[in-house]
Amino acid sequence: MANPLNLPMVPRALRNVVSRPATRRYPAEVRTPFEGARGKIEFDVSTCNYCMLCARRCPAAAITVNREERTWAIEHLRCIACNVCVEVCAKKSLAMSNEPRKPHTPADSRDGHRPGHEEWHGEAPDAAVTAARGSGA
Amino acid sequence: MKKTIIPFGPQHPVLPEPLVLDLILDDEKVIDAVPTIGYIHRGLEMMVERVEYTEMGFVVERICGICSFMHGMGYAVSLESIMNVEVPERAKWLRLIWAEISRVQSHLLWLGLGADAFGFENLFMHCWRMREEVLDIFEKTTGGRIIHSVNRIGGVKRDVSDSELAAILARLQELAKAFEETARIFASDPSIAHRLGGVGVLSAADALETAAVGPMARASGIRTDTRLYGANLYDQIEFEPVVETAGDCLARAVVRMREIPQSIDIVRQAIEKMPKGEGLPLENKPRGNPVGETFTRLEQPRGEVLYYVKANGTKYLERFRARTPTFANIPAMIKLVKGCDLADVPNIILTIDPCISCTER
Repeated sequence: MANPLNLPMVPRALRNVVSRPATRRYPAEVRTPFEGARGKIEFDVSTCNYCMLCARRCPAAAITVNREERTWAIEHLRCIACNVCVEVCAKKSLAMSNEPRKPHTPADSRDGHRPGHEEWHGEAPDAAVTAARGSGA
Repeated sequence: MKKTIIPFGPQHPVLPEPLVLDLILDDEKVIDAVPTIGYIHRGLEMMVERVEYTEMGFVVERICGICSFMHGMGYAVSLESIMNVEVPERAKWLRLIWAEISRVQSHLLWLGLGADAFGFENLFMHCWRMREEVLDIFEKTTGGRIIHSVNRIGGVKRDVSDSELAAILARLQELAKAFEETARIFASDPSIAHRLGGVGVLSAADALETAAVGPMARASGIRTDTRLYGANLYDQIEFEPVVETAGDCLARAVVRMREIPQSIDIVRQAIEKMPKGEGLPLENKPRGNPVGETFTRLEQPRGEVLYYVKANGTKYLERFRARTPTFANIPAMIKLVKGCDLADVPNIILTIDPCISCTER
């Protein structure tokens, strides 16, 4: 018969009674993200030159770039936050924020809304540059 | 007497993973078990034909949610050996440190799941609370809790400063001290000894015959550890594999318990031996496309993993194969299940630390 007074868990249990819980009341209480955490891709439309390298190298094909129409779009629900696009961007238009993406509910995708889809429209290319390109070709 | 067949899984309360096993029972005794592999086959190995080899690393990482760092590392090491890329010294040490921290994480996860399987929910929560601290270390250093994405062919993407490494070591050593209490509970609690002791005994001869790997073989008294071969800088680390001789479920739990402080000690040795300083090179980018084939072996938390990579000079690999430790341990598991009581099956299955997502890829 095992010793009935052999209760190795008791000191730990007593400490737990008086200590704070190890968990957080999410979503009311959110932990500040760590410095180097990979959260969400951020894009700066003013510096982008639409080279499309990020779209080509993205393993999840989450980025769509249209050079002619000057649009840059990302599907955050496809993005795997691997940081490759940030690494390859020559113009440093992309950055990885440590703030994680907010969760979506099914209600967000009603009426044709695309949750997680973000799109930027750059300024139309300079007319002079386009003309020069056209004549130089 | 009529035999009963009980399907164990794919959905079973004891296991979050979809293991498919048909138990053939005679009364309460299991007389045979028929495993079916492929329930969650995802075709990840086939993806090399459509995914460029530079991007495949992210797919390989997702083979498993627990050994994701080791999978990414194994893929990178394989490609580096094909392409003859010399990895910078500090990157190699960082890989070793992360690999050992992921072993701590995996064993804590397993001890928690094991405790949950035999009904010790309190212990389960303690193990997972400790594991959370290890995951915090991962998130701070690599950027991800589970999927780390720091391994690239030719090195690693992130550096960890020397002061940060010292802080990590201090934190891990504190964790080792806190873990001692949990280990004592595992060793002295009568209900655990009753539930695990003498259950599912795998003899050393059977372990050799069924080619068991990792903690499963080490708990049966076989001194086997891929780290002993010295690849990936393990030749510069002093350690002796944890070996137990009982071969029962308790011995397998004890092996994993003793490996946690050992891994923390390996992290300490690695931090002492790695080249110090800021701005050291971390990555040598490979040139061209790979040609050739290679085998790579690593010691994952669950045992030896084996990668086979064949490249044909294009940006798509010809063949990629991973033989994961759970796959190697399934014959031993079937051997153990035969002849045991139905009530002991969950414990026996859990003590091989099954990762079905790994096995079926």
